[in-house]
Amino acid sequence: MHEITDLMSRNHRSCDDHLVAVEQAVTRGSWEEATTAFGRFRDALLYHFAAEESLLFPLFEQSTGIFRGPTQVMRGEHLQLRQLLAAAESALAEKDADDYAGTAETLLIMMQQHNVKEENVLYPMCDQQLADRLAELLPELRRQLEEHQEGPPS
Amino acid sequence: MQALLSFEQAPPLSAPLRFFLSAPLFAVLAGLLLLWSGPELFASRWTPAALALTHLISAGFMLQVMIGALFQILPVVAGANLARPRLVAKLVHSTTVLGTLLLAAGFLGRPPLAFELAVFFLAGGLALFVVAAGRALYGVPSTSPTIRGLKLALFGLAVTVLIGALLAATIGGWLALPVVKMTSVHFGWGFVGWGVVLLAAVALVVVPMFQMTPPYPPWFSRHFCRATPIVLSVWSIAEMADHQASLAWLSGAVVLVAVAFAGATLSLQRRSKRARFDATQRLWCVAMLCVLAACLLWLLAAVLPGLAEWPQWPLLFGVLILSGGFMSVMIGMLYKIVPFLIWLHLQNLGGGRVMAPNMNKVIAGQRIDRQTLAHFASLALLLAASAWPEWFTYPAGIALLMANAWLLLNLLAAVAFYRQQRSKIEALRPAMVSG
Repeated sequence: MHEITDLMSRNHRSCDDHLVAVEQAVTRGSWEEATTAFGRFRDALLYHFAAEESLLFPLFEQSTGIFRGPTQVMRGEHLQLRQLLAAAESALAEKDADDYAGTAETLLIMMQQHNVKEENVLYPMCDQQLADRLAELLPELRRQLEEHQEGPPS
Repeated sequence: MQALLSFEQAPPLSAPLRFFLSAPLFAVLAGLLLLWSGPELFASRWTPAALALTHLISAGFMLQVMIGALFQILPVVAGANLARPRLVAKLVHSTTVLGTLLLAAGFLGRPPLAFELAVFFLAGGLALFVVAAGRALYGVPSTSPTIRGLKLALFGLAVTVLIGALLAATIGGWLALPVVKMTSVHFGWGFVGWGVVLLAAVALVVVPMFQMTPPYPPWFSRHFCRATPIVLSVWSIAEMADHQASLAWLSGAVVLVAVAFAGATLSLQRRSKRARFDATQRLWCVAMLCVLAACLLWLLAAVLPGLAEWPQWPLLFGVLILSGGFMSVMIGMLYKIVPFLIWLHLQNLGGGRVMAPNMNKVIAGQRIDRQTLAHFASLALLLAASAWPEWFTYPAGIALLMANAWLLLNLLAAVAFYRQQRSKIEALRPAMVSG
């Protein structure tokens, strides 16, 4: 009964790990390493958003008939997170450690409070509402989340 | 399905902020009270000034931060928005502020009706909050230990307020109940049943996610918040029935609950993957060490008759819990919650076209670091004052006053930053609309 929650939460944690790797590289002053690590974080996060926006959310909306509910709020937060990603990336390009630290902290809190909403409320609802679609949904979600290892999303 | 809809409106910024801005004022008053009453305050935990001081910190500082934070945390963690947040926040805030001030005045023996009015306002305001939060949480499934913990913490708050009201009625001569035993039960539910359970419920999310640690062990997250009220209930019954044989073990169990929380949190923090150990993490770490020190002191007093007879140990215990434990964690949380909320509201005002300055610009890092040091200095001096009142009461009073005036200034700086940025965004708005 928790398959979607488990899979998507695990993917959240793996995004966290990528973000920590950037912070550690910036603190060491290894900008090149930080840029590579940030690329991995950005791709992982964008693939996560893409899997939700193109697959999980539409299925939830169709099965519940609720289009202006939590999925709409989550899409709005994805937009804010994309803006923070861009700001962090430009701070990194300018090798501005203070600006990066501040933007990354904001991004971290925004991302985690977004994740909490999904993990505590939205994913459990998906598990409940989409229980009979799991056989087709889970492999497809897994495939989309793992794709970032092959290249960035369009 | 209620949670489905409530994601839509985030609470207004003023709802949590009015509580956060009032909190340091109570600690400033506590500092003034120390200076006014002098070393006599620390003669025992039962002096009127010590009782007033305890409630200025617990029902003042702590309660304001906890309620303000819940306005924000309930929607995020449980999808449970409080209905009419602006009105509920105003009513709960004004009644709890007034009630706490009257309660402190009541302990100090001034205005004759202070106690009765304090109970009316404080219990009334908190009952309103418990009902409003309970309604928001009603029907929300406990899909995570945090949601269950929040519900149980609210129950702990309700029990604390109820016993507090009965105590006040006893002191006021309306009822004849055993004051000393009921004070223990009130203290146990206030600090453990409400305080530690709320803190643990929030820590289950906040520590792993923001300090980048592994999750709390499953035994802890699954059982902690549920087991605590059960242990407390059994202990309360033994305390009221004066069942000496089981009382020692049961109070030991209540203390172990706090040890489990502080120990689990410290062991996670040691495995934090964050590259920098910031002020908030330092404050959390000191808080957990203080909780462990307080528990150790309690256990030592239970086995060493020499220590148990030392009149200062309960005061030392109280300072470790109040200033060292709860205040430290709460200051640390304020330094994350307030800048983030201000960023979020500015970002929403900008409508995605104007990027709000990042949250580290809301309160300068240096200001946070220095105020944190001032808080630690006030903690050290308060500990010294509880052991040697003649020497340290006045320095401790000044330090408590200064550290919290500084906290207030830092929070006001954040509000000023918000107003300044908001007018910038509003000035740009015609251009944004036409562009």
